[in-house]
Amino acid sequence: MKKLLAACAAIVVLSLLADSARAGNSFDYCLLCHGANGNGNYGIRAPKISGMETWYLARQLGNFASGARGTPADDAAGHEMGPVGVRLERENIVDDAVRFIASLEPRRPSATVKGDVARGRKLYAACTACHGTKGEGNATLQAPALAARSDWYLVTQLHNYQRGLRGADERDAYGAQMRAVAATLPDDQAVNDVVAFINSL
Amino acid sequence: MNRRVSRRDFLHLAGTLGGSTAVYRAAMGIGLLPVAARAARPLLTASGKSRKVLVLGAGISGLTAAYELSKRGYEVQVLEASFRAGGRNMTVRHGSRIDETGYPQVCNFDDDPDLYFNCGPARIPGHHVKLLGYCKELEVELEPFINDNRNAWVQDDAMFGGKPIRAREYLSDTRGFVAELMAKSINKEAISGPMTPDDWDRLREYLKQFGELDPQFRYIGTSRAGLARHDYTAPEVLKAPLSPSELLKSKFMLIMSFGETDDQAAMMMEPVGGMDRVVAGFMRKIGPLVQLESQVQRIRVLPQGVEVTYRRDGQYVTTKADYVLNCIPMHLLAGIEHNFPAEYVAGFTAIPRGKLFKIGFQMKERFWEREGIYGGISWTLQDIQQIWYPAHGIHRKKGVVLGAYTFDAVAGEKFARLPPAERFKLAIAQGAKIHPDYASHVESGVSIAWHQMNHMLGCAAQWDDALFKQWFAKLQAPVGNHYLIGDQVSYHPGWQEGAIASAHHAIADIDARVAAAGTQVVRS
Repeated sequence: MKKLLAACAAIVVLSLLADSARAGNSFDYCLLCHGANGNGNYGIRAPKISGMETWYLARQLGNFASGARGTPADDAAGHEMGPVGVRLERENIVDDAVRFIASLEPRRPSATVKGDVARGRKLYAACTACHGTKGEGNATLQAPALAARSDWYLVTQLHNYQRGLRGADERDAYGAQMRAVAATLPDDQAVNDVVAFINSL
Repeated sequence: MNRRVSRRDFLHLAGTLGGSTAVYRAAMGIGLLPVAARAARPLLTASGKSRKVLVLGAGISGLTAAYELSKRGYEVQVLEASFRAGGRNMTVRHGSRIDETGYPQVCNFDDDPDLYFNCGPARIPGHHVKLLGYCKELEVELEPFINDNRNAWVQDDAMFGGKPIRAREYLSDTRGFVAELMAKSINKEAISGPMTPDDWDRLREYLKQFGELDPQFRYIGTSRAGLARHDYTAPEVLKAPLSPSELLKSKFMLIMSFGETDDQAAMMMEPVGGMDRVVAGFMRKIGPLVQLESQVQRIRVLPQGVEVTYRRDGQYVTTKADYVLNCIPMHLLAGIEHNFPAEYVAGFTAIPRGKLFKIGFQMKERFWEREGIYGGISWTLQDIQQIWYPAHGIHRKKGVVLGAYTFDAVAGEKFARLPPAERFKLAIAQGAKIHPDYASHVESGVSIAWHQMNHMLGCAAQWDDALFKQWFAKLQAPVGNHYLIGDQVSYHPGWQEGAIASAHHAIADIDARVAAAGTQVVRS
């Protein structure tokens, strides 16, 4: 009987530990929005995060936490991410979150954006200096990879840069740089074309 | 501008719901059969022995399916991603955890049986026979819920300089005005169509009653609008009718019939102690079958059965079943790995998710009862849209008031992007236009932004007629042995009755398939 009680107590303690582990350190919440393995969910406009560079993830989470990103009134998706950044920073677990995301298995998302690849190739010339000819990114320049991301998300972000929903905050220097480049794309079709080309990389 | 269209959309939605209920009823053959003959649930005939069923999601549809199938001998396991069962059937009270992405909250209401807040469904009409059947069977005690209270307030900055008026004044004075206008303008000779000039007197009499007109067919006020005073030792004094042109400035006319719709008209009910008593009732029966904190990551439909992979304690676990009933919200399912056909998956992202938002405030004093308000809803054209007063705990010291319930996505997003304290501040400022000393009564609050709640990230699926036509049949039909269920796959989204109806539809189909398979085995 004593043994049984001790065993029960041990189980209770273990389950309490498990509870706190789940409540405090579980990043499964990331997958809720961003999909299985963080490969994105268009259903709630949450982009693929798996395979993103750790330095890029950390910077963006920081931007969400500080309000440098995700605060303009028209950025509904940004509003949903904003408080998550705040929470991760407040609980001092941004690095843990980034490590978790790095452990996920990235998959190439299916292409959803239609555009003129040939025209996109020409437009992409303006992107190569930072993002690389194969869209592989450049850590030194803090330019993330563009290949194999959620293509609809690239379109949204280019529009966000153009409309000042991203990169307009003075704390987001890299965003400001990107905003200037996005402004050179003349119209919506150009945005689709360049993303269609990125899909081909 | 955006706001106005959204509110209209809501009303269109209300109309659509009324219409779809009518369709639903027709489909059920109701209207031909006496009400009592309606089947509240399907009759399952096959034995589920040695058949395994996985239910994904412990919302009302999942719990219903699990309960019914386990009774038939199926081996049932329910996987629920959240730390709690119930889905959007959620009641918070002292100490409850509100698991919102980014803004986790704990409910700080006093520990008291009357101090709770229904974050999701909060009322049950008498014709929701399936849900009421379970309430009876699971011994969930019910009490009246008050939707429509003529003593509650109507407030709109567009009329009377934003000063609130009693709902009875708006309704009675506009009716009186319309009745007088019609009575004066109907020309006896011009009457045509199904009516004859002989009907003229009867029609005028109807209008007199409709608006409570005087013998000269003038509207000079009515006790329906409330007396100017209730001193019963002196003669009654009617209130002077309010200016019709002022009354018609308000878009309240778009909401004024809310409490007359099929699902909202008296008599409404609620479970004693909170809507989650329904969940508790199911859990008393099948609690051990429900495994919490198990987030589904992958679903593979197999030639026979279905394989499901979920995460629990940071580990991936894979399991197989003969049948899967899945009430994971479609917009989340879109992010899960699967091998569903493309035309099925396209539906997941085609139906927009709802963004409804609610606030509950614990009030240190039931001040509304001093204003003659016992239960019911005050309406405002501000973001908060409504204030609900509890019909339970009357004359007790404290009460929990609903301080905001937005239907349109613009208002929902406006609140959701704020931290909880700021949400409360906004809701209190708006509530103060109805109750001037509102702020002084607020002790603590809870806020529920459904599109940011973990494991939900949305309220009811926002179907419309075109979407129903294009997607409903495809999403309702099984893919192999995988069934999508929930209020999201019903013609009554946003209601528990819709969730149960979809579960019943799926389990009846499984029952028929199992029965047929059983017959084949016997024959071979």
